[in-house]
Amino acid sequence: MTDANAPDQGRDIIIDVDLSKRTSELADRNLDLLDAHGVTAIDVLGSVGSGKTTLIKGLVRHLKDRYSIAVIAGDITTRIDADRIEEEGVPVLQIQTGGACHLDGEIVRRALERLDLDSIDLLIIENVGNLICPAAFPIGTHTRLLLLSVTEGPYMAVKHPVMVRQADVAVINKADLADAMEVDVAKLSDDVRSVHPGIKVVTTAARFDEGIDDLIEALGLSGDCCCAGGCCDA
Amino acid sequence: MHDVTAAQRIASTVLHAAHERQARRVEQISIALGAMTMIDPDQLTFWLEQVLRGTVAEGAEIEIEQLPLIVRCTRCDSESEVAVPDDPIYHLMPFAPACPACGCEEIEIVGGDACVVRSMRITEASDDE
Ligand SMILES: Nc1nc2c(ncn2[C@@H]2O[C@H](COP(=O)(O)OP(=O)(O)O)[C@@H](O)[C@H]2O)c(=O)[nH]1
Ligand SMILES: [Mg+2]
Ligand SMILES: [Zn+2]
Repeated sequence: MTDANAPDQGRDIIIDVDLSKRTSELADRNLDLLDAHGVTAIDVLGSVGSGKTTLIKGLVRHLKDRYSIAVIAGDITTRIDADRIEEEGVPVLQIQTGGACHLDGEIVRRALERLDLDSIDLLIIENVGNLICPAAFPIGTHTRLLLLSVTEGPYMAVKHPVMVRQADVAVINKADLADAMEVDVAKLSDDVRSVHPGIKVVTTAARFDEGIDDLIEALGLSGDCCCAGGCCDA
Repeated sequence: MHDVTAAQRIASTVLHAAHERQARRVEQISIALGAMTMIDPDQLTFWLEQVLRGTVAEGAEIEIEQLPLIVRCTRCDSESEVAVPDDPIYHLMPFAPACPACGCEEIEIVGGDACVVRSMRITEASDDE
C-alpha cells in the first residue's frame, strides 16, 4: 500500500473469474487425484426411486471379489442408503447435501479426502436423485451412468436431453414392470440412442439381479480387461 | 447453476480477493451474467446480499451486466443471438437452443453461458488504523 493511495479512496480490482470454468476445474482436479491413486470412479445418476441404491448394491455384490470398492452416497438428508449399501460389506461414506439437489466437485473433493484412496480401486458415487441439476455439475468421474426406470414413464430420455448427452452408459431399470407400466423398453432405448448416438444402453431389473453382468460389461469392468476399466476402451 | 450456488461462489471469490488485498471494505462488485445460466439477476442480487452479510462486502453495490446467448451453427456456419425463454419451470423442461437461421440443434454455444466475476472496488486498509 503506497502513500499515493489515499486510505478512503476506492480502488478497482480486476478479478475475472468464470464460475462455470471453476466448476469443471474442480471436477478435473478430482479426476487427477483419482488417477494418481489408480481409482476408477462411476457417477450414478437417476431420479428418486429409479433404483440407484438397489443397482449399486447389485454391482457391489458382483464385483467385490475382484475389486476393492468404496461407495459415496449423496442424499439431501438421512443415511438410509449408506446403511443399505454397507450390508454388502464395503465402506460407504454418506454425504448429506443439506438441501442441495446435486453433488458438486467441491463436496466430492472433501469426501475423497476422507477415503483411503490407495486401498480402493473402484469408487461408486450415488448422486442426488435429480436429472436436471447434476448435469451442470461434473464431479470428476471416469464414467457417468444414467439410470432411467420404466416406472418414470416413456418420456424420460427425450425430457432430459442434457443429462442423456453427458452419460456414457444408460440403464433402463425395472424391466420387470414394463408391461404393467405400458412402457416399451426397446422404444425407450432407441430414444436414448437418438438423443446420444453411440451411448451404451443396458436393460436391468436390479431388484431381481437381472442384467447386472451386461452392465458390468458395458462399464468395462468384466474382468477380461487388463485394468479396472480406466485405461482401455474394451 | 443455481442462484444460491452462484451467489455463494461469487461471494467466496470476492471475499478471497478482498482478503488478499487487505481490503477494509468492498464498495462495488461487477458481474457478467450469461442468459444461458438462466439465473435471474434480481434473485442473484438478493442472495448475494444475504450471503455477504457480516462480511467486508456487506452492502456493496452489485452491478450485473446481462449477456445474450450467442450460438454458432455447425451446419450453416452462421452466428446468431438466441432469445432464452424466461421460463420459471426450466427445471422441468430444459431449454435446447436451435439455430435461428436453419432451425437445426447442431449448434455450439459461443457466448452467454458463463457467470463471470469481473471486478470489484475496494477501500484499502489505511496504515494508521
Ligand atoms: N420392480 C422393481 N423394483 C425395483 C427395481 N429396482 C429397484 N426397485 C425398487 O424401487 C424402489 C427404489 O429403489 P432405490 O434403489 O432406493 O432407488 P433410488 O432412490 O434411485 O436409490 C425400491 O423399493 C426398490 O426395491 C427393479 O428392477 N424392479
Ligand atoms: Mg438411493
Ligand atoms: Zn443453422
